[in-house]
Amino acid sequence: MTHTRLVPGLVTAAVLLTLPPSGTADETPAVGAWQNMRPHLYGERPISESGDELMTIEAPASTPDPAATAVTVHFGEGLEGRVRQVRVIIDNNPSPLAATFTLRPGLALEALDLRVRIDRYTSVRAIAETTDGQLEMRSAWVNAAGGCSTPPSAAPPGTLGEVRFRPSADGHALQVSIRHPNNSGFQIDPRSGDPIPPHFISRLRLLAGDEVLVDAETGISLSENPTLRLRSRDPMPSPLKLEATDIPSQQLFTATWTASPAAGTR
Amino acid sequence: MTRAGAAPGRRLTCAVAVLLLGAAGRPLAAAETLEVREVAHGVFVHEGRPLSVNAQGREDIANLGFIVGSRCVAVIDTGGSAAIGAALREAVRAHTAKPVCFVINTHVHFDHLLGNGAFLSDHPRFLGHPQLPAALARSRALLVDTYGAQPQVFASIAAPSTAPGTPPPADIDLGGRRLKLTAWPTAHTDCDLTVFDAATGTLFAGDLLFIGRTPALEGSLNGWLGALDDLGRERVRRVIPGHGPPTTDFRQALAAERSYLQDLKATVQAALAAGQSLPETLHQARAPAGGWLLWEENEPRNLARAYEELEWQ
Repeated sequence: MTHTRLVPGLVTAAVLLTLPPSGTADETPAVGAWQNMRPHLYGERPISESGDELMTIEAPASTPDPAATAVTVHFGEGLEGRVRQVRVIIDNNPSPLAATFTLRPGLALEALDLRVRIDRYTSVRAIAETTDGQLEMRSAWVNAAGGCSTPPSAAPPGTLGEVRFRPSADGHALQVSIRHPNNSGFQIDPRSGDPIPPHFISRLRLLAGDEVLVDAETGISLSENPTLRLRSRDPMPSPLKLEATDIPSQQLFTATWTASPAAGTR
Repeated sequence: MTRAGAAPGRRLTCAVAVLLLGAAGRPLAAAETLEVREVAHGVFVHEGRPLSVNAQGREDIANLGFIVGSRCVAVIDTGGSAAIGAALREAVRAHTAKPVCFVINTHVHFDHLLGNGAFLSDHPRFLGHPQLPAALARSRALLVDTYGAQPQVFASIAAPSTAPGTPPPADIDLGGRRLKLTAWPTAHTDCDLTVFDAATGTLFAGDLLFIGRTPALEGSLNGWLGALDDLGRERVRRVIPGHGPPTTDFRQALAAERSYLQDLKATVQAALAAGQSLPETLHQARAPAGGWLLWEENEPRNLARAYEELEWQ
C-alpha cells in the first residue's frame, strides 16, 4: 500500500526531470510515456482494454479549452463498488501521470470527472484497478495544443485555497473546486513576460468523518482551479471534508460541505 | 480570432494545406494586390472571408486596413500569412506613395498579425497592447506549427515599441490626422487594442466586435461585456469589425454581439445553478441562433471558457 503510493510520485518526478518543457520547435512528442510507465506501475500484469459495459473514458476529440479539458471516467455496474484505484495518464504531457485516485472500498462510483491541461495531441487513458486486482484501461484521443503554457485565466484570482462545492440536483454528484493557480511551471506571466514557477495542489482528500472517501495524488496536469467531480449510485455522504495540499508551501486547505436539506431528493 | 489551442490543423494537415494552396487553391504571389475599398476618406479596408479557421484560405479571414495621413500611413492588422501581408503592402502602395510609419496589431491571433513581416523593410513602429509580446511568446509554437508563422513576425513584435508592458501611445499622428489607440482590459483576448480615426469617426474594433460570425471567447466574458458597455459610449460613425462587413450601424452591431454574449452567460449560469458539470453543459449546447456563422466551431469553446470563468462567481 505504502510503496504503491511512492511509485507514481517517483515516476512523476523522473518524467519531470527528463522531459524538456513544451513549446520548443525542435522537440519530438513524448509518445512513449505509457510504455515507459507501464512496467513501473503495473509490471507484467494483464490489462483489459475492451468493453464499454465496464468502463468508458470521455474526452473531447478537439478540446474547447486545452488548459481545462474535461475528462470523465464512467464505470458500469460491473465495476461499481469494486474499484480501489484509478489512474489518469496523459501520454504527451510533460507530467503524464495526471492523478491517482484511491477510493474507499465499496464506494459505488458511477463517474469521475476531472479537468486537465493538454499540452499537445495525445492519448488520455484511465486505468482502474479493482479490489481483486483486475486492471481495466480505456483511452481517448484528444487534439489540442498549448494547455500547459496557457496563461492564467481571466477570472479574478480570488482567494487562494477557497473551495466551492457544487452538488447536482439529485444529490448523487458533487463537484469540488479549489481556487488555486496550479501553475505548471511552463507558463509565462503575460504582464512581465517572466516564467511562472510551479505552484500546485499535490493531494486532494475527501473525508466522511474519519473515513477517506477519495484520496487523490495530483500534480501540474490538473487545470487551474483544480476540479474534481464524483457521481455515485448512492447519495453523497454528508458532511464531507476536503483537504488539499499546496506545493511547495505544504499548506493544507480544508473546507466542509453539508448537504442542504432542500438539495437532493433523499 | 482563433484561440490558442483550438487546434485546427496539426503539423501534417498544415503541410498539406500549404501544398494545396500552392497548387489549386488561391495562390497569392508576392506581388499580388489585396482587394481593398475606401470606406471613408483615406480609410481603406480589406474584408476577410467568412471561412472556418480550419478551411483552406483561412489566412484571409480577418478584416485588415490602413489609414493615410498627410505624412504617412498606419496599417491596422496584417493578415494570416506572409503572403497576405505582402499583398496588403501592395495595396497600400497602389493607393499612396507615403511611407508606412505604424503597423498596429489589434491582438495576438494568427489571422491578424502573421503578415507583419512584409512591413519590416518599411521600418515602421509596431504597436500593440502592452500584453501583446507575452501573448505572442506563449503562442509561438502554435503560430509556427499550425499556422506557418515566419520568424519575421516575432522580430516585428520584439521591436522596442512593443516591449512587454510598454503601453502604446494614447494617440499617434499621421500628419494632420490623429488616431486614438485604446488597450482594453481582458475581453476577447488579454491583448485587445482598438483604433479610432477621429477625422472620419471610424473605429477599427479588432475582434472586440464580430459581425455575422460567432464571437470567439478567449479572454473574459464579463470583461467583454464590460468593453461593449464602454464602446457603446463612444461616438462612432462607422465601425470595422475584426470579422464581418463594416457598418455605419454601430449600435445594432454592438447590440447583436451583446445579445449573443449575454445569452451565453445566462446559459452557463443556469447550468451552474443546476449543479451541472462542464461536460454536461457542453452536451446541452444551445441550438444555433441569431444567424451566426460558424456556430459549431466557436460555441463549445465559448461555453467552456464561460463556465470556467463564471463558476467562481
